[in-house]
Amino acid sequence: MSVIELPSTREEAWRWADPDAIATAAALPRAAVSLDVAGHWLDLPGARIVVRDGVIDTAASDLARVELRSVAASDHALGARATGAGWALHLAEDAAAHPVQIVHVSTGGANHLPSEIMLADDAAAQVIETYIGAGWANRYLRVTLGKAARLMRSVRLVQDGGFVSLREDAALGTGASLVTIFLGAGAAGTRIDATIVAGEGAFADYGGALLTAGEQKQECAVTVRHAEPNGSSQQVWRAVAADRSTASLAARVEVARHAQKTDGVQSLRGLLLKRTATVNLKPELEIFADDVKCAHGATVGELDARALFYMESRGIPKSRAQALLTTAFVADALDRIGDETVRDAFSADAEAWLGQAL
Amino acid sequence: MTMLKITDLHAEIDGKEILKGLSLTVNAGEIHAIMGPNGAGKSTLGYVLGGRPGYEVTGGSIEFDGQDLLELEPHQRAAAGVFLGFQYPVEIPGVSNVQFLREALNAQRGQRDEKPLSGAEFLKLAREEARKLDMDAEMLKRPVNVGFSGGEKKRNEMVQMGIVNPKFAILDETDSGLDIDALRIVGDGINRIMRAPDKAVLLITHYQRLLDYVQPDVVHVLADGRIVRSGGAELAHELEREGYAQVTA
Repeated sequence: MSVIELPSTREEAWRWADPDAIATAAALPRAAVSLDVAGHWLDLPGARIVVRDGVIDTAASDLARVELRSVAASDHALGARATGAGWALHLAEDAAAHPVQIVHVSTGGANHLPSEIMLADDAAAQVIETYIGAGWANRYLRVTLGKAARLMRSVRLVQDGGFVSLREDAALGTGASLVTIFLGAGAAGTRIDATIVAGEGAFADYGGALLTAGEQKQECAVTVRHAEPNGSSQQVWRAVAADRSTASLAARVEVARHAQKTDGVQSLRGLLLKRTATVNLKPELEIFADDVKCAHGATVGELDARALFYMESRGIPKSRAQALLTTAFVADALDRIGDETVRDAFSADAEAWLGQAL
Repeated sequence: MTMLKITDLHAEIDGKEILKGLSLTVNAGEIHAIMGPNGAGKSTLGYVLGGRPGYEVTGGSIEFDGQDLLELEPHQRAAAGVFLGFQYPVEIPGVSNVQFLREALNAQRGQRDEKPLSGAEFLKLAREEARKLDMDAEMLKRPVNVGFSGGEKKRNEMVQMGIVNPKFAILDETDSGLDIDALRIVGDGINRIMRAPDKAVLLITHYQRLLDYVQPDVVHVLADGRIVRSGGAELAHELEREGYAQVTA
């Protein structure tokens, strides 16, 4: 029996959850390994924060505008475990900070850390997070965006093993913009769990690419709720599953009764590199307003054999043709990262993953 | 000099025999046309020469430039100098023409122990070929064949052929979907790129009209998996006049 108490997988939102993998990760002994943190910094100015087993390593970090403070607790099954002191980025009206980079290092066991991003009206920030190591890293993030505030988040999960669970609650003010793109390209189990509530005219772009291999399982369970009129959202998720792995994408759009003129796009696509792999897709729309546009698509398939032969017939070896096609498939999600340096780094990680999986 | 020698070729798809003892010899410097009714095996011949998975050779041999073509993977055939122009060029979302063609050309050059072309050298070559085929150079930046009209796709095939500069081209219904002006441009392209003493072409076509621009040296009629008649350019006119049924009877 799992030692991690989570809602039953009979509950729809937890259908593809893997509590046993979390328990196994939490039981991994802390290893005295030295992990290369330096290699994960991107060439950007701004804060560089090292989190070791859930504790901010202030000696090894440059916090810049990030503060250490206590964060209001979550009532979510995973989020509620990350309580107490964490990191916070608070920006005043019109303020803009340099990018904040955080590298989360786990050496084993379970670690939890809450965090908070609060941007006042018209403020802008960018946060880039990288997860390395093993063990169970559990994180809670509360995001509050004021009127026309803008937050770009990019999160890459490249742990060698263990599990990463991320829970996020985001509230977007009038005309605010939240773009969050994930790349799961490590060997850890993953659950990305989020609820985004979009205000009037707000924009939420929440998606990413989950690449799974071996016996690995990665999943997302994300809800974007349009509470007010004129909002727009995009949920572009790509899953690539090799070997006997499982990738599950559950993305939900809710449109409240008076949230007229909502424009939602949902695109969930899975690519099976082997027939023994599994991709689960669950696109959900719950619309109570009558004047809205919500496009949605969900497909799972294999690489296009005709395209492969076309490329081979022009001289490209099969494995390279497969890599080009798969990279293009994943790029739909990663191209949404606005910062070129970040996008290139994420694309390189995805390519490195493909180089091993193909 | 013999470039391609096909001897008693048998091939099947899903257990159904399509080519039933096809023999054909193409010498360097020659352009051959293969004509024939629907379902005769024309496209199958093209795919077997290109090495498409699912097209199983059950008998016979194909010798290209002194090597056993059937021993080579599709990408090795390309590097050896074989180009297959597709009847229905494939759309590849997310991969630009420039990236695709540079990868293709440099992969071929790598297999031949030639130095890869730099990005700048490649772009110069690609722009030049696009210009010669009256294709907007902007289309090189677009994903391969995505959103291209039928005619643009065929023109793109010719741009690709110009860039990789093969020894031997199999062009499967390159004339279908082309208007009169595009037919002339494509015909001129085939002549310019492939009409040379050390090259050869196999033109697969239903109609005489491409042959008005690209004069064949030999015309073959393919029916029920075999070459049933061969002749000079006049055979194509005879087919156009009298139909396959009459000529192959």
